[in-house]
Amino acid sequence: MQSADAGKEVRGRAVSTRNDRQLKTIVVVMSLVIVAFFALAGRCVYLQRNLADYYAEKCMIQQRAYLPLEPQRGAILDTRGRLLAASHQIRTIFAEPRIIQDPKETATRLAPVLDMGAHEICKLIVDSSNPGYVSLKKDATVAQSEAARQVYGVGIEYDWRRQYPMGRLAAHIVGFTSRDNYGLAGIEYTFDRDLRGRGAKHTFLVDVKRRPLALCLGEEQDDNDMPIHGAGIILTLDATIQQFTREALYAQYKEFEAESAVAMVADPYTGEILAMVTLPDFDPAESAQIAQKQPELFTNRLLTDQYEPGSIIKPVVAAIALDTKVMNRYETIFCENGNYHGKGFGRIGEYRRGFGDLTLREILMNSSNIGMAKIGQRLGATRLYEGLTLFGFGRKVGVELPGEAEGLLRPPGQWTGYSVTRIPFGQEISVTGLQMLRAFCMLANGGHLVHPYIVKSLVRSDGMVVDMRPSTLRVGYVIKPDVAKWVVQDAMTAVVNERNGTGSRAKLAKWTVFGKTGTAQIAKDGVYLDKAYVASFIAGAPASNPRVVVLISIRRPNVALKKGYTGGTVAAPVAATILEKTLTYLGVPSEGTPEAAAAIAARRAQPYSEDENSW
Amino acid sequence: MGSRLSLILVIFFFAATLIVAVYLRGANHRAFYTLRTYKIEQGRLQQDLWQKQLRVESLINPASIWRRLEE
Repeated sequence: MQSADAGKEVRGRAVSTRNDRQLKTIVVVMSLVIVAFFALAGRCVYLQRNLADYYAEKCMIQQRAYLPLEPQRGAILDTRGRLLAASHQIRTIFAEPRIIQDPKETATRLAPVLDMGAHEICKLIVDSSNPGYVSLKKDATVAQSEAARQVYGVGIEYDWRRQYPMGRLAAHIVGFTSRDNYGLAGIEYTFDRDLRGRGAKHTFLVDVKRRPLALCLGEEQDDNDMPIHGAGIILTLDATIQQFTREALYAQYKEFEAESAVAMVADPYTGEILAMVTLPDFDPAESAQIAQKQPELFTNRLLTDQYEPGSIIKPVVAAIALDTKVMNRYETIFCENGNYHGKGFGRIGEYRRGFGDLTLREILMNSSNIGMAKIGQRLGATRLYEGLTLFGFGRKVGVELPGEAEGLLRPPGQWTGYSVTRIPFGQEISVTGLQMLRAFCMLANGGHLVHPYIVKSLVRSDGMVVDMRPSTLRVGYVIKPDVAKWVVQDAMTAVVNERNGTGSRAKLAKWTVFGKTGTAQIAKDGVYLDKAYVASFIAGAPASNPRVVVLISIRRPNVALKKGYTGGTVAAPVAATILEKTLTYLGVPSEGTPEAAAAIAARRAQPYSEDENSW
Repeated sequence: MGSRLSLILVIFFFAATLIVAVYLRGANHRAFYTLRTYKIEQGRLQQDLWQKQLRVESLINPASIWRRLEE
């Protein structure tokens, strides 16, 4: 019994000892668990408080991929929708040298794909100054891109390249862009913001192989918009008329070995510029090289070159004189037989021969300087200045192209005794070709103010069309319509169509052309240069209802060639060629036919009757 | 016995739901990837077409026609 009790006691003690041990083990384990828990909790707090940003960023880099989407630059089109400038996508195959372990092997794999020597590729990778990027092949084909993509460390980059399908034809108007697609000249520069559009960036959630799984929305949703492509711009320019103009001007520019030449064609009623040519010109695709060698080729001389217009300003002054009634069209002015001098205005001669009594029509037809000087004296400084200001001289026309000059028309307070007799035949005043053309548009359209423009409309990427044409609302006349009509249909028509007219080389069989020649001496540092002239001719047709007005100015034709240097000889034939081709192209009926009469009536009845009634 | 069967069914359907959810998620990602691939392909084809149009434009514009007539 005793031994049984003793056995029980021993067993009981053993159980108790085991329980104690288990308890201790549990306590130790639990303590370790608690310590570990607190350690982990501490680590969590530490990570959350101190390293959260670091790991969040790492996580973002690991899980996300970004795709920048560059917008396509808008196209520039002529009035009939023909492309003058457009961008297309190009693929550039590039390598990331820092992650390429074996450049030789990479080069060997790429060589047949890129159709380049392995040695050349290897050299590009090894010698790259940028460890993150080296361009291997620009303008790669789709097949090349797909094959190159399979090689580790090689990627494809998409970019836009600007293309000018018509080359140098409209280079001065369209302009060109930099390599990073920023407009640097012409319309490309003026409308750069509209043409460029707005880029976007897409953020993707990616898998381990960097394949996109989903778009990351939420706070970055704004970034995931689609890019807004640049707006398209439609010009008033007609590539066909531009070609006629350039072709005719270029032939004469070469023939007379001139320093430069400009030509412009416009609709006198609306102010639409149909053609604008400056020679010498340039190919926009080579603008980067030209910028270094001959940057002067970028100058659009119709806007930037200011020159003394010479006799082509005479019809404008004649119109001012008639409008202000300082003389009428029947009275005669004695032209001093070619030698007019007096105190305060020096000596004035004629270009060809002296004249006696001339009517205003004859003064214009014979381009008499003395006759015009006397008209200037009758007008006086104030009326002459105000008249020229009304025609827009001395201030910018405001066409949508960069670099336009204001010209020079000094206020009457700064005029000398010479000014009032010299300005009427185009000296002591500087104009741009555009200003001159505008003034003639006003004469041709019956004395209405007109605003020349070259951008017709803007087409946004969502299809919305923004009309950019200036208002054609007629608010009055610069000169009386009957004065404008007489100057155009009588005086300037005589310049071209009468036997003694200075512009007879511009005469056409099908249409009555009106115009005025000009031969201005070039001044440098206040002195007129010997044998240096600007030969100009400004014309329009048909005289009864002008559809187009043309300005031609050829600077410094080579006098030594002895082919001539005057506006009537050098510039008038160019105007005739342009007018003939343009009027045929526009389908203007020959004058004198019933169709022509109907067209005149329709034109007069149609465009401005509503506006005229409203004032 | 009945309650055990119910438990098995619950676990089974719960597991099935999870598997289907995971599958649908994967399918969504695959569809998205395919969509992006096609979108890129569409953009590429559009650009190819545009490039061809540009080439045509550069062949039929008045300047190049005149050049060829002269030649």
